[in-house]
Amino acid sequence: MEGIARTDLRHGASHQGFLRHRNFLWLKAAIGVSVLALLGYALIDVQPRHNGGSAYGYALGSIGVLLILWLTLLGLRKRAMTRGRWSLKAWTSAHVYLGLSLTVVATLHTGFQFGWNVHTLAYALMMLVILSGIYGIAVYSTLPRELSVSRSEMTRPQMIDAVMKLDRQLQSAAQPLGHEDTRIVSLSLDDNPFAAGLYRRLSGHYPGCRTARALAEMRRRLAPAAGEQAASIGNVVSLLERKAAALARIRHHLRIKALLEIWLYVHVPATFALIAALAAHIVSVFFYW
Amino acid sequence: MAFLLRTVSHSAEGREIVRTRRVDGDRLVIGRDPGCDVHLTDLAVALRHATLERVAGRLELTAEPGLWVELNGRKAAAGTLELATGGDILLGSHALRFMPTPAGSDEIAVAIERTTEGEAKLDKSAERLFTLGPVLPAKRSLAWLLVLLVLAAGLAWPIKAYYDRQQRSEAFARFHADEIWSSGSLSSAHSGLKENCSACHVKPFEAVRDSACQTCHASVHGHADPFRLARARPDLGRWRRIELAFKEAFDLPPGRCVECHTEHEGPRQMPVTAQRFCSDCHGDLRKKLPDTSLANASDFGRAHPEFQPVLIAGWNGRRPLLRRQSLAARPVENSGLKFPHAMHLSLTNGVAQMARRLGRDHGFGQALECKDCHDPAPDGARFQPVDMEEDCAMCHSLAFDRVGGTLRTLRHGEPAQVVADLRDFYRGRSVPAPSVLAPAARRRPGDAPDLRNRIQFGRGPGSAERAIRGIFSPGGACFDCHQVEAPPPGSLDFRIRPVAFPVRYLHKGWFDHRAHSTQSCSSCHLADRSSAASDLLVPNLASCRTCHGGEGSSKPVQSSCAMCHDYHMDAGAPSMLIRQRVRGKKRSTVVAEARR
Repeated sequence: MEGIARTDLRHGASHQGFLRHRNFLWLKAAIGVSVLALLGYALIDVQPRHNGGSAYGYALGSIGVLLILWLTLLGLRKRAMTRGRWSLKAWTSAHVYLGLSLTVVATLHTGFQFGWNVHTLAYALMMLVILSGIYGIAVYSTLPRELSVSRSEMTRPQMIDAVMKLDRQLQSAAQPLGHEDTRIVSLSLDDNPFAAGLYRRLSGHYPGCRTARALAEMRRRLAPAAGEQAASIGNVVSLLERKAAALARIRHHLRIKALLEIWLYVHVPATFALIAALAAHIVSVFFYW
Repeated sequence: MAFLLRTVSHSAEGREIVRTRRVDGDRLVIGRDPGCDVHLTDLAVALRHATLERVAGRLELTAEPGLWVELNGRKAAAGTLELATGGDILLGSHALRFMPTPAGSDEIAVAIERTTEGEAKLDKSAERLFTLGPVLPAKRSLAWLLVLLVLAAGLAWPIKAYYDRQQRSEAFARFHADEIWSSGSLSSAHSGLKENCSACHVKPFEAVRDSACQTCHASVHGHADPFRLARARPDLGRWRRIELAFKEAFDLPPGRCVECHTEHEGPRQMPVTAQRFCSDCHGDLRKKLPDTSLANASDFGRAHPEFQPVLIAGWNGRRPLLRRQSLAARPVENSGLKFPHAMHLSLTNGVAQMARRLGRDHGFGQALECKDCHDPAPDGARFQPVDMEEDCAMCHSLAFDRVGGTLRTLRHGEPAQVVADLRDFYRGRSVPAPSVLAPAARRRPGDAPDLRNRIQFGRGPGSAERAIRGIFSPGGACFDCHQVEAPPPGSLDFRIRPVAFPVRYLHKGWFDHRAHSTQSCSSCHLADRSSAASDLLVPNLASCRTCHGGEGSSKPVQSSCAMCHDYHMDAGAPSMLIRQRVRGKKRSTVVAEARR
């Protein structure tokens, strides 16, 4: 237990995040790379104007493509979690900061010449990858906290379980109801919160929620009801209210999970599209050398 | 008669639990109401949903009004079920399976089973449900799809376009996919080649060669002998060496047209050649090429040799010998003419007086001005050679006789004819005819011979010879402006030394008078202070430097080398000026000759 309880000081505090890794070592490196690139851009006189085809342009382009390929390797590297100087954390830190420095290196490589061509496509894809990465870091640093708050001490299976229990209770509570009423309750029972698509999950907006519709309808029916029927409907309404709350919890959780995960669906495919566009960019330059 | 109901359910572990119940009678009522014969706890089932009644060998099914069941896979509100064959009734999530019953049997066996577990929708084992995995395509397939798309559109398609063009195929004429490889618009001069990438990119993976440029630019010549050019190049610094090594490795031969004439930099004109481009070699050319006749030059304001105009250095008989001479050596004009500029430009002397008198006919002002004798060439860049009849004769008349209303003039430029004409004039005349010229006739500089003829030589034989000797002697009409070669004694074969001026003084640089029209002539040409024709009035370097300085200088006009000189030098205006004119920046600069 000693190894877990005590921080291994040789490799720095292990609870330190990848952003602050080794006192922002890679942030400093990235700033250094960017400043050097900017200095070169300002000092080297390229006639008639800066472009990717000057000696400096080729140098920046080569640095850029090597960086991109190395950054992509994180996808392989992340599968092996290690510690130490070349720990996964160090890699991630370098991935983030050097990836950000690519905005400077690649933008200077373009010489601010853009157009509807394969070269600008590669640049646009790279910026898309970087922007999605920035989004990823932003949500990773804020949302996980909310994720644990939102589950109110419940595990995800427990959340599902709560809904299932409520469904069973609804099932039995609705037994005395008439056919019309039970059809309404069935709306809620058929409601599967996980059937929601990407937009619903991201927006957290469920205008056609069947449980909400059933709840509203049953409340309406509660008013004129009397006697035993009123008691049954009241029972169902309170169950539906609890189910709506349980669904809201699941949906909030779904929303945060979606917000946390969506960037990777941009980051990863766009990275591969970027590498393809880079290949086209480089081959085209040499093809029409 | 009875129904034997077997209700089958499953425990959490998947074990089958079977409960049997016997319902006596011919009727079986199905519903959610606990009082029904078959009690189904499914909210999709009505309290009293359907009734089955045994009639002979069949079961008659009747659903309550507005309700239905699935009978043998068919939706029905009523129907029959053959007992001999059995059958299925589906009701909500429950299935009632009727076993085949032999005829005459009392008991009908029915298996009741829940077909769908309602709770199965929420599989609690699936953490995955919370992720985006189930709602989005897999990242990997998305990545592959995009890769294929980009490679097809960005690589395969343009390469196909290149080979289509090679084969001049029909598909090519419609769209030029390789245009999506273009890194930027072509310069305006080359915009016509936009759809024809292989006009310059002739072979794949081979850098653009000069031969591609020369397909159109057939007559453009280089700057100098390539070997001398190579020797004159500045010492390569370490970075240039590295750059050269890279160029060698990537098959980019140095010195190609495209190194200066870069393309795909937007719809712009060729930029002005930077001074450094010239001064790299010419700043220290003498050291690199000791045998060069060119002086070092790196900046017009600071390091530029004195002008070396082409001048008449001497005469070989009647042919002028042209040679470049530096203005620093104060060379003289060797034109063979006598002409005091200062006297002609004076504001007060007799010339000015005459200008005022003749002004009405010839457009003179209060005194003679440069423009009264010097006519610009049509292009405005230079001046036409001075012509005696056109530019001098309005004052310097060669008239010697009047026949009727017509003046007879001596033939300019033909001394033998002058001699013959005068001989003829005096031949057989005892009395010259002073009356032909009215005594009160206006006296002009050129009238002198007539007066002298009249006064001194007008009396009898021998007067012709005297008149001829007179006009070729000091005070005579020819002698005033020309150098006279005296004939051998006894002969009248007077000759005039030829007159010549260089058509163009500065051959290696461009000068345009119209670009300087804001200046007065005398601010550069010191004509009003020149009293001899031998004064060379070509302005020197210092004079130009009053306004012109090198690139980045504080003088009013920053003048890089390209303002006067061209890399592909020829007789015309430097391309920088041509381009400025085309762009409308310089109104007054005129392109002189068609460039050879």
